[in-house]
Amino acid sequence: MIVTTLFVVFIALMVIGMPVGVALGVAGTLAIVLSNLDTQWFGLLAVPQNFYAGLAKYPLLAIPMFVLVGSIFDRSGVASRLVAFAISMVGRGPGMLPLVTIAVAMFLGGISGSGPACAAAVGAVMIGAMNRAGYPASFSASVVAAGAATDILIPPSIAFIVYSILVPQASVPALFAAGMVPGILAGIALIVPAVWMSRRHNMGQLERSLPRPPFWASLREAAWGLIAPVLILGGMRMGFFTPTEAAVVAVFYGLFVGMAVHRTIKFRDLFPILREAAELSAVIMLVVTLAGIFAWALSTLSVIDPITHAIVNSGLGEYGVLTLLIVLLMTLGMFLDGISIFLIFVPLLLPIANAYGWDPVWFGVLLTLKVALGQFTPPLAVNLMVSCRIARVPMESTVRWVVWLLVSMFLVLVLVIVFPELALWLPRYLGF
Amino acid sequence: MRQEQEHAEEPIEPILPEIADPPVKVPLAIEDWLSVLIMAGLALITFANVIVRYMTDSSFAWTEEISVFLLIVLTMTAGATAFVRNQHIRIEAYADGGTAARRRALAIAVHLIVLLFFILLTVLSARMAYDDYSWGDTSPAIGIPNWWYTVWMPVLAAAITLRVAGILRRLLRSAA
Repeated sequence: MIVTTLFVVFIALMVIGMPVGVALGVAGTLAIVLSNLDTQWFGLLAVPQNFYAGLAKYPLLAIPMFVLVGSIFDRSGVASRLVAFAISMVGRGPGMLPLVTIAVAMFLGGISGSGPACAAAVGAVMIGAMNRAGYPASFSASVVAAGAATDILIPPSIAFIVYSILVPQASVPALFAAGMVPGILAGIALIVPAVWMSRRHNMGQLERSLPRPPFWASLREAAWGLIAPVLILGGMRMGFFTPTEAAVVAVFYGLFVGMAVHRTIKFRDLFPILREAAELSAVIMLVVTLAGIFAWALSTLSVIDPITHAIVNSGLGEYGVLTLLIVLLMTLGMFLDGISIFLIFVPLLLPIANAYGWDPVWFGVLLTLKVALGQFTPPLAVNLMVSCRIARVPMESTVRWVVWLLVSMFLVLVLVIVFPELALWLPRYLGF
Repeated sequence: MRQEQEHAEEPIEPILPEIADPPVKVPLAIEDWLSVLIMAGLALITFANVIVRYMTDSSFAWTEEISVFLLIVLTMTAGATAFVRNQHIRIEAYADGGTAARRRALAIAVHLIVLLFFILLTVLSARMAYDDYSWGDTSPAIGIPNWWYTVWMPVLAAAITLRVAGILRRLLRSAA
């Protein structure tokens, strides 16, 4: 009864457009009141306590720091130099610019940790360039949004940090390492249909006539950006920094490159950069802590165990349940963003994962892959929203292109389910 | 200088158009400055920690406690402006479609509930801070009274409440 109220209120509030975090908080608070009608203050003191405890966690500091890294590298001028360098390597020709777009988005994924930030940085450089080369704007927007979705798989990744806060036995370094191979596979899975579609539909015919940047000069220009992932990931791998510290080192490195080397960031730009990063982090952290109230209400109602029990004994079998979970999450992913999905469903799904003995790191990679798909599945596709705004095309126009990219990346998800070693080999090899 | 000219045609990243802030009575700059200073402070504290650890092989445990407190303040101050700028994650499909009258009615309903939630949070966190004060717990790392931290919770929750009240007032005044 109370559980039904909890979910009905939550869904109703979300549909009428309430911020997801507050909808979680209101539903959780209501459930607490309903189950404590006879206690003093209706047990409501749990609300501020959970709110406070949900934020008072040192590992959460990684979120604002990695958001800040993204905001800084967005404006550091690194993206356009990486593009020039990539073109100098692969040359000019139909299908080469989409390839470069996805490759650069993947590379930036090794610096920043959130899809929309990456879509903004790559989209700003690539959508104009692809238009000039004769690619339709809706195609460019699709490629940028899909390429940027690899960002949350390729370490560092804010999605993995949030998952690790929810599932402490999956450490951030282990998740980062586990995301590497699936992230690269996802990128390749996007490049193949993108190049194929450009050839097939004779897009980018003007590209052959555009100049090819000189290799060594572009390499020298791009070097500052090329070093950044080495610094971040290498520093963590060698045990120099914790993830949070690696992010802070990247912040100051990015500021140095943006302000002193490429001179794209002026002193007065610091205020909007910091403000934007602060607001974006607050939006994430507010959902994190208000979801804590919801999860707490759910745990005191002790419904998770019976539900888990019912699902495990439903006779669907391990892969049946997994298929069902993926279908459920894909459907929800069309309406909800990835971080909210993590916060609402990981507490519910983890007992199921434990019941089947699924590896928590592998499960985290699976969920993140699914969230990455959701980032460019219309209608609610955060990456597509950003890239469509830059390309000035309606989101509907991208559907005919995006579908093939989605199918191709979905195959990677199937591969990771069938061969868990794709995710688990690297963290084990590195000893996390 | 030469380099700047070379890249003059390069698009300034990101090129998303700036969205103007809604007309607020109390300037958003108050929370903005707090958020910006805290964000910069958090980066500097953590960076200083890395350097100190490599120079002296010791780390400050107390900075963790300060950072966690700043993180809470940041969430509340930048969270408040995110309400005004409509940056919070929400499902827009149903709420932002339909007629203008329906959109307005839904927005009023939503903000009324958000307002009630934050009023409740203000009252309850004031009570929590009062409990901390009367029990006299001290913080684990620095050993200062816990209420020095928690007392800011009701203050910041009240700030969000006022911001949401302002949004609601603008909504109600807008032509029906």
